Amino acid sequence: MDLLAQVLINGILLGGLYAIMALGLALVWGVLNIVNLAHGAFIMLGAYLAWHLYHYLGIDPFLGLPITAIVMFGVGYAVQRGILNLIVRAPMFNTLLITFGIEVVLTYLAQLAFSADFRTINPSYAGSNIAVGPVVIPTVRLAAFGVAIALTVAMWLFLLRTKLGRAIRATAQNLVAARLYGVEPRHLYAMTFGIGIGLAGVAGGLYGTVSQINPYIGATLTAKCFAIAIIGGLDNPLGVIVGGLVLGIIESLAILYIGATFGDVASFGVLVLVLIVRPSGLLGRTA
Amino acid sequence: MSIWTRIAIAVVIVAILAALPWFGSDVVVQFGISTLILAVLAQGWNIIGGYTGYASFGNSTFFGLGAYGVAIAMVQWHLPFWVGMVFGAAMAVAFAILLGLPVLRLKGHYFAIATLALAQVVAAIVSNIPLFGQNIGLVLPPLNNDAMFYELALALLVAATLTVAWLTRSRFGFGLIAIRENEEGAAVMGVNTTLYKVMAFALSGLFSALAGGIQAYWITFLDPASAFDISLNVKMIIMAVFGGPGTIFGPVVGAFVLSAISEVLSSEITSVAGLFFGIVVVAAVVLMPRGLADIIRHFRTSGWRYFIQNVKAHRI
Repeated sequence: MDLLAQVLINGILLGGLYAIMALGLALVWGVLNIVNLAHGAFIMLGAYLAWHLYHYLGIDPFLGLPITAIVMFGVGYAVQRGILNLIVRAPMFNTLLITFGIEVVLTYLAQLAFSADFRTINPSYAGSNIAVGPVVIPTVRLAAFGVAIALTVAMWLFLLRTKLGRAIRATAQNLVAARLYGVEPRHLYAMTFGIGIGLAGVAGGLYGTVSQINPYIGATLTAKCFAIAIIGGLDNPLGVIVGGLVLGIIESLAILYIGATFGDVASFGVLVLVLIVRPSGLLGRTA
Repeated sequence: MSIWTRIAIAVVIVAILAALPWFGSDVVVQFGISTLILAVLAQGWNIIGGYTGYASFGNSTFFGLGAYGVAIAMVQWHLPFWVGMVFGAAMAVAFAILLGLPVLRLKGHYFAIATLALAQVVAAIVSNIPLFGQNIGLVLPPLNNDAMFYELALALLVAATLTVAWLTRSRFGFGLIAIRENEEGAAVMGVNTTLYKVMAFALSGLFSALAGGIQAYWITFLDPASAFDISLNVKMIIMAVFGGPGTIFGPVVGAFVLSAISEVLSSEITSVAGLFFGIVVVAAVVLMPRGLADIIRHFRTSGWRYFIQNVKAHRI
């Protein structure tokens, strides 16, 4: 029973991290109708950025998150403004291909720049734990969980309350009407993509503190983010929290009860099942 | 050009390609085998992606199942190569039918990602089954006969291309094109869309599996990472899209051109060959979203403005 409680706690902590990973993907998908297959690669870049900040400049991985976010926001803004805005109105298939192309480019650039070695961000407090009865909670994972949930809620408030957030939601609903009200779509699309990639950067920084990073983690992370976005639906940032928690818990349980290599099988199996049963997401509106 | 001139040109090209092992060097023949296998994959993808309009990102699953069919038959059961090919093809077709039924109900992004996820699920499951050699992989008996593999791959490519040519003039093919253009409309016109889609998926899987079988026996080693390589999906898709999806020769030409450029680049500057693929994908989608075939059709009338027109049509 203690083991089960421990596994559930691990799953929940992992789920919070998954939520912030998927948040950017869901935002870009919902507003721009682009499924960004390079999302995982951007998470990978964010992780490397945080790693370099920590190892060369000695900046604490959690304090370095705003820097990572701002840099990645700039990268995202430039990618959307320079490349993706050119194909926004192309068929859906072309947007998938082009983001896949960007994923390949980023992975190879990362491999050239950082080599294929595994890296971890290991601050001095990495090994410390908090014991709650029989259950042990790793401090770093708890902190990553807290940051992830706080940012996801902040994102929800941002979309709901601020002027920019409202413009983004308006564009997602009706581009023509939003334009009539003075929204400049090229800039707004780039802002949205930039925010999505900035979130990916933060997710990467957090991921680096709890797991190993190498240039090839992107593809699997993209698929997981997609699964979470599908489970949670695209309408509401809080949906990705549910999606992330569901995936994190299912993965942890599958690893415990079926076998260590079945974590990914379980999450992708859930993805396929959810797609077949409810293509618009467990919490989403029916299309 | 009349239809007969075209057929004559195609026959001459195939004859020249078939004669290659007698005058080409070993390196050229090996490059030929890998290019032909990729061309078969691109052509196989063309059936489901180009003609039916369902962007499968999971055709590498069929390739891997075909490769494992040969490997299991030859290593575990000591059966001849051709039995392995039949076994692999049967596994791929069964997989296409069983999973095609639920997955082909999805559209657009959802279908693309579901197939991508399926490819990863199958790779993970296979690496846990002892019959498939788990993560260690299977070593096949070596056969030093590159000319045979070359002719086999060429024959398979010809068969795949003839099948696609048949699609452009058969009831079945028109049904698929109707599904691509307007699925509800096709259903109203009496096309059994579910049956047609599953058949196209299975046909696509059949050719991919046979290509995988040849690859496995040629390379003589197989493990889950190489058999279910996700990047193979991108390769076959970009080759088909680069050449012209939904055309008979587009995917083949795309595979030949891209393989040649990639081969030259990787011998000159080894480390950036993969990077090159990514850049080609991005440039091709922006500048020529309908492939080489469309350029040939329209370049005469609009010249270099063709590329600018493409960008203008899709940008915001």
